[in-house]
Amino acid sequence: MNDQRVTNHALARYLLLPTIFLTVALAGGLRIDAATRAFVFLPPPLVTLVLATLLLLLFVRGRLLELHEWFNSALPPRTLIAHALTVGALCCASAQAFNAVLPEAGLLRWLFAFFFLWTLWQNQFSTFDARRLLRSLVALFGTAFALKHLLLAALYAPEGNWLRRLAGTLVEGLTQGTLGQAESYAPATGYIAFATLALYVGGLAMLAFAPTETDTTTERAQTIVNDYQQLAPAERALVRAEIMADEPLQLATTDSEVDEETPVG
Amino acid sequence: MRHRLIQWLGIAWTIIFALLIVWLYTTAPRNLQELRTQASATVGAYQIDQARFDAALELFRREQYGAARAEWQRADPAERDARTQFYIAYAFYREGWGRVYNDEELFKRGLDAVKRANGLTPDAPLKIDDADLRLHTAAELQAELEAGLAQGWGALNPLAVLRRERK
Repeated sequence: MNDQRVTNHALARYLLLPTIFLTVALAGGLRIDAATRAFVFLPPPLVTLVLATLLLLLFVRGRLLELHEWFNSALPPRTLIAHALTVGALCCASAQAFNAVLPEAGLLRWLFAFFFLWTLWQNQFSTFDARRLLRSLVALFGTAFALKHLLLAALYAPEGNWLRRLAGTLVEGLTQGTLGQAESYAPATGYIAFATLALYVGGLAMLAFAPTETDTTTERAQTIVNDYQQLAPAERALVRAEIMADEPLQLATTDSEVDEETPVG
Repeated sequence: MRHRLIQWLGIAWTIIFALLIVWLYTTAPRNLQELRTQASATVGAYQIDQARFDAALELFRREQYGAARAEWQRADPAERDARTQFYIAYAFYREGWGRVYNDEELFKRGLDAVKRANGLTPDAPLKIDDADLRLHTAAELQAELEAGLAQGWGALNPLAVLRRERK
């Protein structure tokens, strides 16, 4: 990598990524009280820490976080410390991203937590790559955000019309108050949560697509070959078929070039 | 060289930012004004508003206890000054004191304030030299407030009414 690229990579990994994740950790628990417009800081509840741990495992499985590259024993200690801090920031950001989209109390909170747990647990056993994982997370957080900050907030909005208030009261009455009426937070809370989630997903995308320090063509090729060798024969055949399907023309051209260069005996 | 510098900067910045977040969640300021007050209290630059304190003392001496407390709270928004907290507790005590019975709610809030004052001076007992007061230490005031809150048979004694006096 040239000097400029190394500098940009270092700035992104050691300054920008921790800043993004820590900002998410800060804003994920921030709410604005509707009545007093006061800040309310909600630390991450235990369940979000469990969810964040599962999500980190998923990052490792989906190779969004290449542990062998981040914590390679050949790296100097300061790099390892910097990486550990970034991963720590990512863990806190994940917990707070869940905190931002979980309802504050009641049955809905536990329903949301259960569905998150269920989805993350199921995903532990699925085949993932970084892109697919990222898309899946956008869908997961997007759905939870829409449910909490659009649907529930509209249902319980104090300034809503009489039909809305009636619906909210009916839902609360039917569920004997166990559904968990949303705290009266100002609409700004929804905007903060949206910005937080956007920042979080942006940080993850940076993590997935940022060039790595060992990102030389040879090393990448070696990694792919190593991965290929880990596969079962049937899966290898599938990979070969995919490559051939994608690049038959190119390979054929290369073959003909080789044929031309090879002297006829 | 530049790469190494960026790494060190990143480490320092991440630690500082993380500490800032922990501090924010611990102190939980409710608005930007409170954030500024908490920040100055943390770095040791916090000072009470002396003019407001004096104005509150004036109100206290005129027996306008509610107004005095409000003014002291504005003088010490971070609740970090032991002397101010002592006076707030004293204002609760004087307002809550009654010859026949005490206002339990005010006494409880007074007790909270005097405990806060005690907590702010862990090394030495808090003593206030003010000729207008009959209780000069936080310990005395706390004992008085606790005695006022205690429910016992002695409270049923009609003669106790004659012995009671506000301090």
